Amino acid sequence: MKRWNEISMNRTACRLGACIAMVALTLAVKPAQAQVKVDPRLPEYTPVEGISGTIKSVGSDTLNNLMTLWAEGFRAMYPNVQIEIEGKGSSTAPPALIEGTATFGPMSRAMKNQELDDFEKKYGYKPTALKTSIDMLAVYVNKDNPVKGMTLSEVDAIFSKSRKKGHKEDITTWGQVGLEGDWASLPISLYGRNAASGTYGYFKEHVLGKGDYKDSVKEQPGSSAVVQGVASDKGGIGYSGIGYKTADVKAVALAREAGEEFVAAVPENAYTGEYPLARYLLIYVNAKPNTDLDPLQREFIRYVFSRQGQQDVVKDGYFPVPAEVANASLEAVGLN
Amino acid sequence: MSGTPDARRERSRSRVSLFAQGEPMLWLTGGGLAVALAMIAGLLLLVLVKGVTTLWPMPLEQFAQRDGTTLMGEVTREEQYAPEDNSTEKTARRRLLRTGNFDLTGEHFQWVADSEIQEASRPEWGAVVERTSWGRFYGVPSAFLLSGKVVSEKPEEIWALYNQHHGHVRARAAERRDLETHEVGRINRKLENSRLALRKVERRYGDSSPEYAAAQGECEAVGDSMREDYDRIRKAIDEINTENAAYQVRLRTADGTEQLLNLADIVRAYPANRLTLAGKVRVYFSRWVEFLTAPPREANSEGGVFPAIFGTVVMTLLMSLAVVPLGVMAALYLREYAKGGAIVSAVRISINNLAGVPSIVFGVFGLGFFCYLMGAGMDQWLFSAALPNPTFGKGGILWASLTLALLTLPVVIVATEEALSAVPNSMREGSYACGAGKWQTIKRIVLPRAMPGIMTGMILAMARGAGEVAPLMLVGAVKLAPELPVDGVAPFLHAQRSFMHLGFHIYDLGFQSQNSEAAKPMVFTTTLLLIALIFVLNIVAVRLRTRLRRKFVTGAF
Repeated sequence: MKRWNEISMNRTACRLGACIAMVALTLAVKPAQAQVKVDPRLPEYTPVEGISGTIKSVGSDTLNNLMTLWAEGFRAMYPNVQIEIEGKGSSTAPPALIEGTATFGPMSRAMKNQELDDFEKKYGYKPTALKTSIDMLAVYVNKDNPVKGMTLSEVDAIFSKSRKKGHKEDITTWGQVGLEGDWASLPISLYGRNAASGTYGYFKEHVLGKGDYKDSVKEQPGSSAVVQGVASDKGGIGYSGIGYKTADVKAVALAREAGEEFVAAVPENAYTGEYPLARYLLIYVNAKPNTDLDPLQREFIRYVFSRQGQQDVVKDGYFPVPAEVANASLEAVGLN
Repeated sequence: MSGTPDARRERSRSRVSLFAQGEPMLWLTGGGLAVALAMIAGLLLLVLVKGVTTLWPMPLEQFAQRDGTTLMGEVTREEQYAPEDNSTEKTARRRLLRTGNFDLTGEHFQWVADSEIQEASRPEWGAVVERTSWGRFYGVPSAFLLSGKVVSEKPEEIWALYNQHHGHVRARAAERRDLETHEVGRINRKLENSRLALRKVERRYGDSSPEYAAAQGECEAVGDSMREDYDRIRKAIDEINTENAAYQVRLRTADGTEQLLNLADIVRAYPANRLTLAGKVRVYFSRWVEFLTAPPREANSEGGVFPAIFGTVVMTLLMSLAVVPLGVMAALYLREYAKGGAIVSAVRISINNLAGVPSIVFGVFGLGFFCYLMGAGMDQWLFSAALPNPTFGKGGILWASLTLALLTLPVVIVATEEALSAVPNSMREGSYACGAGKWQTIKRIVLPRAMPGIMTGMILAMARGAGEVAPLMLVGAVKLAPELPVDGVAPFLHAQRSFMHLGFHIYDLGFQSQNSEAAKPMVFTTTLLLIALIFVLNIVAVRLRTRLRRKFVTGAF
């Protein structure tokens, strides 16, 4: 259990790549415009009797719609289970879990050490993270923007005033990332999330190298608001989960280093781990070691990692986890 | 520069006389009113037009593009843009096509530039299919299947068969839903209760005590007796499922893919390009009925908003129940009993200041005081068996109502005080002169005459409370809570449940929806609904006030 929490996110990305590479082979390579398939080795969910009660989920806004879809699917089988979902940002999950006001804490970033310690102080053990699905944090630009791709250090120089990735100059116009004509002099207008968001934290850690955001970033209350902001602003750029993509925006292909090939934000690249900003979307639960989970919690977790649950992941625009990852998560809470 | 002193004096005198006549002020105040009216009318008109047109069925367009792909869908909006390569034209038009079929393509919408279109058509039999999951499906019906066998491949016949069977299939699906909710629900509740009873015994006596063993035996007995029931209901549900699964319709999408859809998964389907005006009106109203009466589907992007309407109304009523008695009592004391002085003045000033506190502060207070302190305390005391799952120790409709009651308390107190002070002292004195006591005077003379004013306070409080969202996000309004706070299961009012709220639903649709393009028009429809709801609540209260006024104020001086 400990292991899952302590691996750094970089290593998570590597593990993600290594572990999924084999699965990627089994997933038929699809033409560009096709839906992702769920791993057929995942079990079909069959309802059991005697499940009733209330589930309360507090946490990530990135996972908000996904939690709702799971709740709807779960309730279709257990109609008198009450499910309440609140998604105001990943940072709201740890306090809710610690206070005991939530049964599940969906988060789009891993818990910080401070948060883990606070939890441990109250309960004597650490919360368990379940890897429920895969997201690509996409950098969106307006649909008309002709930019081919960007390196992470360029994105850093666009969003950050500290430029920890070492780009030589501050980037404020589109001409500085190689656009020509009218675009060259167009100023870049920044959209981002508010500080409660896990996406904000993830982006800060992995793109900005823990540097500071520029003051000119327009902080939005939701992932969808970022996309809508970019959609209506010709010079706009913003970051958000891949599930929120609309026809009005384009996800920019990214490269880790200058000179490397740009990697597009398409499912194959998430599974191979080539896309630099692929991450697991997590659900934290308060699972006391060596004790059975509450039946309601147990069944919900089983549903999430079933074929139906992962189908909901696809429905929300994210990518389902392969059976290996699902089994590892189930084992972490003593299921399977 | 501007002439002789005489001329200047002349001009200034004429200005003075103009002000004295009041003409410029007339224009100024009138202008202020006009601007205010224009803004309100503009806002209402925007909401009304966008809200009313959202659910109207659009024709189905098919575009064959130059790159060989063919798209079919509904045009949702269009815009002018500056094309990149062909410099012959300065601007060109492109249209946003709702292409649906998300399960096949992974896209909900696509932009289509006019220059890319090779051939545009409106397929005669093109169908819009609204499904229970995965959103809309667009295609041309190619076959109707019964138990896997093709019955017909002609579009007319397929539609006839669809219309013939769809109602029955949906009715059976509703019956299944009913079985699941009520029958299986009843069993699950019993099992959960016996499990909680066991937990209680375990907590009190420990798990090695004889009491625990007895309770465990009881729990298992309940489980066994329920199992039979459960199996019987499961069988009935399975039968319905198999029966419904027999009815299928096959559609061909614009790019030629064939897709089988179960009739049971179809909410509504219509041949968009063959609809007469009457047919369109029918679809329009059927969508409105669904919007008003059904629970939401697909992470709130489809289906209805009934739980949100219900939650808003129940919360507003609970809030009024809490705030009106409290506010009236406070105002009565302040106006009728308290002797004027520094303390009363200070209290009055504090109440007025309270009205200026940002609503989110009340939300934070509600969360800390009601949910975390009182709620958690109640959980420890009354619902300890359900822990760690909180019962009252989280946001809920009771806490939300109380928080809003605090928020609207100043409104009620101030309005009531105004109403009380408007009752002439001569009436009170007359009452005392007849030998009535203080409370008798208040009850018989003062309160009835102040009632219309108190009702005004209540109306203002309700309007404020129903439209408030920020504090609710902290104390109980959630994205999804299909269980209503009031239902047919004892104890009928479930004050601990979180609820959906129209105002929060608007925020959710606008800023958090995954398929934001499809959700945007629903923002207007939901806003329209919220405005209508507050309007209705106000009208009811105003009618009540008029009746009271007629009852008590006749025979006034």
